[in-house]
Amino acid sequence: MRYIYHAMKLNLKSIAQYRASFLMQNIAQFVMVGGEFLAVVVLMTRFTALGQWRAEEIMFFWGVMQLTFALCECLGRGISTFAGYVGSGDFDTILLRPRPLMQQVIGHRLDPRRLGGMIVGGGAIALSCVRLGITWTADKLVLTLLAAAGGFFLILGLFLIEATVSFFSVRSIEMVNVLTYGGRSTCQYPVDVYPRPLRILFTWVAPFALSMHLPISHVLGKPLFDVPMAVVWLAPLAGPLFFLLMTRVWYIGVKHYRSTGT
Amino acid sequence: MRFLEAEGLSKTYIRRCKPKDGGISRLWKRDTQVITALQDASFSINEGELVGMIGPNGAGKSTTVKLLTGILTPTGGTCHVDGRVPWLERREHVRHLGAVFGQRTQLWWDVPIHDSFLLLRDVYSVDKAAWQRRLDELVDALDLQEFLHTPLRQLSLGQRMRAELCGSLLHAPKLLFLDEPTIGLDAVSKLKLRAFLKEENKQRGTTILLTTHDMEDMLALCQRVMVLGRGKLLYDGQLEALLRRYDTVHTLRCTFEGEADLSGLPQAIRHERDGGAHALTFAPGEIPTSEVLAHVLACGPLREMTLKEQNIDHLIARMYEEMQL
Repeated sequence: MRYIYHAMKLNLKSIAQYRASFLMQNIAQFVMVGGEFLAVVVLMTRFTALGQWRAEEIMFFWGVMQLTFALCECLGRGISTFAGYVGSGDFDTILLRPRPLMQQVIGHRLDPRRLGGMIVGGGAIALSCVRLGITWTADKLVLTLLAAAGGFFLILGLFLIEATVSFFSVRSIEMVNVLTYGGRSTCQYPVDVYPRPLRILFTWVAPFALSMHLPISHVLGKPLFDVPMAVVWLAPLAGPLFFLLMTRVWYIGVKHYRSTGT
Repeated sequence: MRFLEAEGLSKTYIRRCKPKDGGISRLWKRDTQVITALQDASFSINEGELVGMIGPNGAGKSTTVKLLTGILTPTGGTCHVDGRVPWLERREHVRHLGAVFGQRTQLWWDVPIHDSFLLLRDVYSVDKAAWQRRLDELVDALDLQEFLHTPLRQLSLGQRMRAELCGSLLHAPKLLFLDEPTIGLDAVSKLKLRAFLKEENKQRGTTILLTTHDMEDMLALCQRVMVLGRGKLLYDGQLEALLRRYDTVHTLRCTFEGEADLSGLPQAIRHERDGGAHALTFAPGEIPTSEVLAHVLACGPLREMTLKEQNIDHLIARMYEEMQL
């Protein structure tokens, strides 16, 4: 932990070297995600409901996804840009250090420029709470946090797919981004608004529905699947499990690392 | 068991490429091509040795270093370093290992090098007091004082290489890998770096394996040399013995007063005209220099002469040629 902490600190120090750039990129992120937010708002004023969901409820789902994804891009930058280190041979340096590899990959890079995205996501959640008049109880709060945490690990796990593919194919295939960025765009809305194939994909393959939508639906008081409460509490675990599984696969990939000529 | 022992170490890659002909099927058909980066290399290194590795580009030097550091997993053979298999016990292995790759930085680009060194202390979990002592030593030996708090990106190439070396030695590794450490350095920096490496090897007994294209590095640092070519270990032994094997050619350039008849020279002396001068090439192992001189003096009144030893780069080029690299 001490190592991760120091690595992160060093990362921040690096970024502090380019203050203007940092500020500009944050503003850019803010504007970009803010634009998406406005699009959601516009859509919602036109079609006041989507399936069983009211506009404000959709905004809640949307906000949690934005916040979680921005957090992943911030803390998981090392994983999401990992294919680049394989291509350039920088992974050599990581292999030369006596620390667990995954720890180093995560500590390798940090991207606090995603702050803008997090603010918009948090704002959307706050706004939706006010409009819906949610009465916060301890278990609602915990469920929301679990949804965010489950989604966090799930997205990191999805980033790992591309990272693993990069060991085998020098030019990373865009295909693998379908689940990551496609998942974000699709699953910022609850899974039940989609046709069956997409529902299956995002419940059983990339389990956004289990780790995020199910707990959130209980927070909003409109349970998604007809399952006992115990399952609802355990469902967000799908995220960390997915991450662990992908980590194992990634470690297999490490054995196939080819490095580059010097 | 020796400190480092490699047995039949091999690494092959499979490269997929598009077939050269065959119309539309090129879109999905792929030919596979097996590339041998290293083939059946066996060698061992004792603790405290300073070994040089040479060979033309693509000879397998980097592959060997990467196998020994545990970066790559071999496709055949095995090796032990200090009793450990690098790619199986990576973390324990690299804890006692330092590495500097001439063209790649291991420190953080945008922060002062001292900050990088601090993080390396955590990376290797070095005791604070021991780390500080070692840092002071290295800062002193490598002359880092004046730019210890300057970001890496603002350093010159020579300064950067010194900083890299410091970073790789802070945890007092038993084994140090250097991949072309003097590449791009000016003469003074090169000399300093060589002196430092020699000292590090002698004083602390650090085992050093270095690859280089700079033959001066070799002459200055290494007694033992390994020659690699096309993925094979072609020579492993004393540098001097290797040079003796090839360093057989001297050239004597001489001019005479008036015309001289050199047709009577023995076979062992190759004679070429070079403008007004004569270039006589011979191997001291074959015919002693004194004998050559006697022959030359017998040819006519000598005005001027110079004796030149063949430059080591030429030697290596000849060696590569003979080994058909």
